[in-house]
Order: sequence, then C-alpha cells, then structure tokens
Amino acid sequence: MPNTVTGEIRSIIDPVVSSLKRHQIEGDKDIALAISHLLMKVISAARWTNPYDLIDLIREVGTILSSAYPRKIITGNVVRRVLALIRDEIETEHNENANTPMMSSMFSLLSTSNNENHKELHKQSKKQMSDLRSIIIQGIRDLVDEISNVNDGIETMSVDLIHDNEILLTPTPTSDTVLQFLIKARAKRKFTVLVTESFPNYIKEAQNFAKKLAEHKIETILVPDSTVYAVMSRVGKVIIGSSAVFANGGCMSNSGVSHVVECAKEHRTPVFALAGLYKLSPLYPFTRDDLIEVGNSGKALNYDDFKLVDNVELVTNALDDYISPDYIDIYITNVGGFAPSFIYRIVLDNYKTEDNTLE
Amino acid sequence: MVEEQAQTSQAKPQAPAQVSDSQKAEKAPAAAADGASKGSDDKKLSNKEMKELKKKEKAAKRAAQKEAIGISPEQQAKNAESKIEKKKSSATNTNLKKQLDQTLIKDQGGKRIPAIFSHLETREQRNASSPSISHIVHPAILSLTLKYSTYKIVGSTPRLKNMLEVFKVVIRDYETPANTTLTRHLTGHLSHQIEYLKTGRPLSISMGNAIRWLKQEISHISIDTKEQQAKETLCEKIDDFIKEKIELSGQVIIENASKHITDGSTILTYGHSEVLEKLFKYCVIEQNKKFNLIVVDSRPLFEGKRLLTNLVNTNYNPDGEGLDSEVESIASSRSIKSQPITHENLKIHYVLINSLSSTILEDVDCVFLGAHAMLSNGRLYSRVGTGLIAMMCHARNIPVLTCCESVKFSDKVQLDSVTTNELADCDDLVQDINSKKPPQKKSFALEQFIKQCEEEKESKNKNNNKGKQQQQKKSSPEPDAQADDSTPLKDWKNISHLNILNIMYDLTPPEYIKKVVTELGALPPSAVPVILREYKNT
Repeated sequence: MPNTVTGEIRSIIDPVVSSLKRHQIEGDKDIALAISHLLMKVISAARWTNPYDLIDLIREVGTILSSAYPRKIITGNVVRRVLALIRDEIETEHNENANTPMMSSMFSLLSTSNNENHKELHKQSKKQMSDLRSIIIQGIRDLVDEISNVNDGIETMSVDLIHDNEILLTPTPTSDTVLQFLIKARAKRKFTVLVTESFPNYIKEAQNFAKKLAEHKIETILVPDSTVYAVMSRVGKVIIGSSAVFANGGCMSNSGVSHVVECAKEHRTPVFALAGLYKLSPLYPFTRDDLIEVGNSGKALNYDDFKLVDNVELVTNALDDYISPDYIDIYITNVGGFAPSFIYRIVLDNYKTEDNTLE
Repeated sequence: MVEEQAQTSQAKPQAPAQVSDSQKAEKAPAAAADGASKGSDDKKLSNKEMKELKKKEKAAKRAAQKEAIGISPEQQAKNAESKIEKKKSSATNTNLKKQLDQTLIKDQGGKRIPAIFSHLETREQRNASSPSISHIVHPAILSLTLKYSTYKIVGSTPRLKNMLEVFKVVIRDYETPANTTLTRHLTGHLSHQIEYLKTGRPLSISMGNAIRWLKQEISHISIDTKEQQAKETLCEKIDDFIKEKIELSGQVIIENASKHITDGSTILTYGHSEVLEKLFKYCVIEQNKKFNLIVVDSRPLFEGKRLLTNLVNTNYNPDGEGLDSEVESIASSRSIKSQPITHENLKIHYVLINSLSSTILEDVDCVFLGAHAMLSNGRLYSRVGTGLIAMMCHARNIPVLTCCESVKFSDKVQLDSVTTNELADCDDLVQDINSKKPPQKKSFALEQFIKQCEEEKESKNKNNNKGKQQQQKKSSPEPDAQADDSTPLKDWKNISHLNILNIMYDLTPPEYIKKVVTELGALPPSAVPVILREYKNT
C-alpha cells in the first residue's frame, strides 16, 4: 500500500495516538468521540481526487490508531463505521451516475468488489468531491451525535425490563450506561441494586457508583466480589455493561464479570448486557487470550511486600474478561434489544465486510 | 421486670396517701382525671408514661381495697420491698442470661441491614451483651475474644485449638464454690465463658462440637472425684482431643490428599486453610514434589496472602532433610543450601478472585478447598467465595477436593447461603480500600468509647458556637471533595439508601465437590450423614 499518510495528516493524528498509547483517554465513549472528531479533521484536511484514495487513507489512519491501543476494539469500530459511510456514499452516487439496475443482495455478496474498475470510473469533478466531503463530514457528525446520546436509546427500555421490588446485580460499576439505565428506571420502578466492588481495579469507581445510585433513591447494597455466588439465589436480573461486542454475540467487559455471569447461568438468572451501537464490532474473538489486557500486578500484591513478590512466580491482574454469548440473554442497544445470536445482522447493517481487516 | 416492680412499689406508698380518706371510690377516678388533664397539658406524654399512670391508678384502687380489709399502707410498702429483695437475691448466675438480653446497647443511629439479610446478627448486636458479665469471665477468655473479633485468630481449626487451650487455663484456675460440686457447677461456669466468647464472633461448627464434647466429659466425672484430680483429667482429655481430632486427623488427611498432588501438576486453592497449608508443605518437604500452586485471594480478609506468607517463610533443604520454619535460624547456620520452598519447588501464582476467570483455569489439574463445616446434606460451608470457585472449576471439569476433619461435620442442613451466615463488620469494606491487608481492627469497647467522646465533643461544639458551625458547613464541600478521592464512602452510614453487605461464608452444593478427604477416609459429600451417624456411635 502506498504511503498516503502525509506529514500534515500525521501531525493531526499524532497527539491522539500518543494519548491513546498513554491511556490518557479513558472511557469508551470518550475514545469513540475523540476518534470520530479526529477522522473529521483528517477528512477535511486530506487532499484527494478519488474517493477510493480517501478510503485507503482512512484505513491507514485506522491501522495506526488501533495499533496505538491494540486491545481497544472501539477505535477500529469507529474507523470502520466511517469507512462504511464513505462506501455507502460512493455507492449511491455511483448508482445515480451509472443508472445501473440494483443488484440483488445475494449477487453482491458473492461478487468480488474490483476497486480498480471503479477507480477508473470515478474521475470526478472538483465540485462533486467537495460535495462528497461535506456529506461525509455530516455523516460523521451524525455518528458523533449517536455516540454522545447513546444512553437515551438504551434508557427507554429500562421500564420494560425491570419490575417493582426486583433485586438486580451489576458487576460493572465503571459503566455510565448502566448508571443512567438504572436511574431512569427508578423514575417508574422501585428496586434494589447489588453492586460488586470490582477490587482492585475499579473499587473506587464502584463506591462512587453505589453512592450515586443511593443519591437517586435506589436501594443500593455494595458487596465484595466473592459474595456473588452467595447472593445470586436472591437476584432477579444481572445487568452488565460491555466495552465491546463481537459479531458472534460475545462481549468484553470488566474483569470479574465472567464469573458473575457464570453464576447467573448456574442459578438461571437472566443477564442483560447494555451496549451502545458503536460498541458492536464486525470482528470475531478468535484468540481470546490476546483480547484480555493485563494491568498493574502491584494492585494485587503490593510491591513493598518484597519478600512475597520475590518468592511468587506470577501475579496476575487482568483488566478485562471475555464473555461468551452463551451467558448473555439479551443485548440492549440504542436501536433495540437483540439476542446474541442476532448481533451479526446488526453488524452487517453498520459495517462493510471489505473493511473487516484494515491493513 | 425488676425496674417495673420498682415503679409499682413507688406508686403503692404514694397512692394510698392520696386516698386515705373514706371517699376512696371517688378519689381514684379523680386521680385518673388528673392524669388525663396532665396528658392534655403536655402532649408529649409517651406511651410509657401513660402506662405508668394507669398502674398508679390500679395500685391506688388495690391499696384502697386492702385498706378496707385492714392492711395499713406502711405494711404494704414493706411487703413490696421484701418482694423486690427476693427478686434481687434470685438474680444469681442463672439469671445472668436474662440480664444479658436486657442490657442491649441501643443502636446509636446505626445502619439497618438490607431487608434480605436483616435476620443476620450484626456485630453491634453481638457486642451489646458483653459488658454485664465481663466480671465473671476469665482474663484468658477476654483476650481470646479480642483476638477472634480482630481476626488475629481466624480459620476454623486455629480458633478451635486456641479455644481448647484457653479452656484448659480456665479449668485449671477454676475453684468450685462451696455447696456445689465441680460436675454441676463447672458446666455453668464454662457456659458464661462461652457466652462471652460468642460476642467476639459466633462459634464455629467445630467449636460447637468440641464444647458439646467437653460438657459431656465434665458430666461424666463422678461426684466423688477430688477437685484437683478432676481438673487434671479434664485437661488431659482436652490435650488428647486436640491431638486426636486436630493434629493426627490433619496428618492422616494430608497423607491421603497428597496422592492427588503429582510432580509438575497445577493446584489451585482459595484463601487459607490450616490443613491445606500443611499439605503443601508436606508435599514439598517430605515428598520432594515440585508443583505449581495458584493462590486465589479476596477482600477483605486476604487470607490467601497469609498462606503465601507462611509458605514463603518455610525453608527447605534440598539435600533431603526437611526443615520447618521454626528451626530456620539453626538451618541457616548449618547449611547454606536451605532456602524458601517457593524458590524452586513450589511455583506460586497469586491472583485475586476477579482475575480468575480469564485464562488461569485452563491448566489447573486439581482444586483444594478448605472447609469451615460440612453440613449433613452434603453442602460445604466455607469462606465466602468458595462456592464461586467450586462452580467455575466444576464447569471446566476440574476435580474439586475438600479437606475437612470430622470435627467440622455438622448435623445441620441448609440450602442457601443467605439463610444462615455470619455478618462481619461493614466498615472493613470501606476503610483503606487500597491497603490489600486484612482490616486492622480496634476492639468494640474502644470504638464505642471513641464514638462517645466524639459525640460529646460535637454536642459541646453545637452548644458553644452554632453560628460558626453554619459557616463550617458552607466551607465543608471542599474538604469533602478531597476525601472523595481516597474513600468515596467514608460517610456511607449517612447515605440513607446505601448499604454494605459483608458476609463471611457461603455454601457449596455437593454436585461441585468430587471428594471430601477426612481422617476417616475419602468420601463423596453424600456420605457426610453416614459419618455423622458412625461418629456419634463411637
């Protein structure tokens, strides 16, 4: 692939890349917003005569971004969403220009897209280019709107899913979506929420989360992570937040979530996963070990316990957990609720298969 | 009861004075009316006061009736007093328990427990009974109670062992009071000690079993035995019990369980168990095995860390002779080769319970779990988190073994962890959230005292400068925000909808457990009632 990333564009993406590398942007929503703003800048700054050049450029930028934070799937998601947007735009324009009859969906699935031919066709005028540019940027603006208002769509379902005096359990106190979901549900329902501590990585967040819930007059009980099995027999529903959802219906979440959902399965307790649409990814979790990020082991065993540290072979402090689709009953997204087995369809609606691999 | 009696007795001599006239029938209602008018005067007349008033009325009526028969008010007063004295004299040791129930410390704005767990006894409730009998409690028991409540001694076996050792001291220092025999009186004496011991933490199943045994032994002593001799035999019996039921049993269990640890295997364990710690040491030191050990740990007690420390402090001489930690100093002087067993033979992998599920379970060969008790329906009652680990290992086809002395077998049945459990202090979960150490606890009495002092200070402040306080309130949000950073829930007790649950145990269903290793052999969990029956017969 020719090196299309010029110095100018490099200077735009570099600050974001380095802050991603340093984990300075935390929170999935913030990352998604930062990436989409960045892509907007890149598209307006880039010079291109052929929309396929733009696609190549965005793909390359996407590669750089996802290698900056390889275990965050969201960066890739946003890049792919933008690519799908551009491709859609090209397609409609192409259809208008060529007036070719619509191909059947089956046919287009099987045919190989030959970009080279298209490239010949798409020697477009400058005016068309600037039109396309503004359309794409408007599309990204819509995406930004969607990401920032993701909770609204999810919240509306809360009343349908929670009944009065129910006991809920959530093992993901880092998720703002879960918090908003519960607060919204409180307006109509009275219920109790058990919050796990998520020691050691998110204990502070867990306590703040519990505090916020309590301030919204939700009966909140903070429980240690080990207590999950003991209390599961009393829990009506488990609600988890997710950091990424794969096409197979599995998802990534905080460490400790997978044993909670396993417990829920054992007790036949339904599990809801909340996920904004931008968290859905067209990827499949083939190598699960690579998905899990490992954090500071000093959080599990203090470094000042040098005698222990010296004698212990390994200390693990995983930050994430992969949850297989069998453990989740329903995904609640801002476009509705879906069974895990149906996620691949939603993914197909939003992404183009050509972009599954960015490199 | 005593208090009420006193009130009526006060009422009695007063009331007759009022109605000493012949118009007794009219005056009594008058007094009642008086009371009623009082009630309307200050509306804050509580229920209790109303009751008192009614009692006075009744007493007045009765006194009037008695007077009519011919008993003077002075005599009545005397009668009442003598009754009270009788009551007081009967408040001996047997009545202490009743008193205990009455001297509950009032919940000082304490947190109620969430509804689903409200049946569990809180630490405050447990501690409420302690002060009134502390004068007849042996000092050794006092110190033991303190060690229990501060988790200095934790785990079923160490608690049992320490209790029996302390009972030996108690029995040695015991002197039979006059007019009674050791067989009859010692049991009661011990009961008080146990009552106090319970205020630290509830008795474990094994402790309950041992106490039952000891009481039986005491009752078996014939009345004719001399006190000194009886005490000696009891102490001997306790020694035998410790040796037989704990130490030798442990040894047998270890020998049996060590067959499951092979060279190069990966073993997973949760928390700390006395017998498992010995098992791992035995496998390395005596049997020269090399294996990987995954230690899973959880908040707030961090018992896995204790296991880790104990293993790291155990030294081993690869030339053949095993050396215990006790002889560490001698070992280091004799041979340079002595080194911690964790250096080469025991590869330890330490994880917290949350990281467990990711990838660690993939290459575990066998799981060893400690036990607090085995219940009669085959369920394992153990440290909270055990059930979770057993479930996950069961789902991955990893055999789950538990090592449990028969002393821990109980004829209780229980179906879920919520119905019976021990509630630990909620503050353990809030204080020092990043310390990664077991909670450092003050004794309950000290906490109460500090609280009282603070309250007094506060009330003084309020009296002194109300205006200033308002100013302080206005300026307070800033330091609050700072406190948020370290512990967001520092003042969780003031947040009305927030609760914290800190339970100690959970229940593992028998399906998850492949094998229970006891000194009587290795059995499936379904054999627990069989063992109980056999054990009772012998």
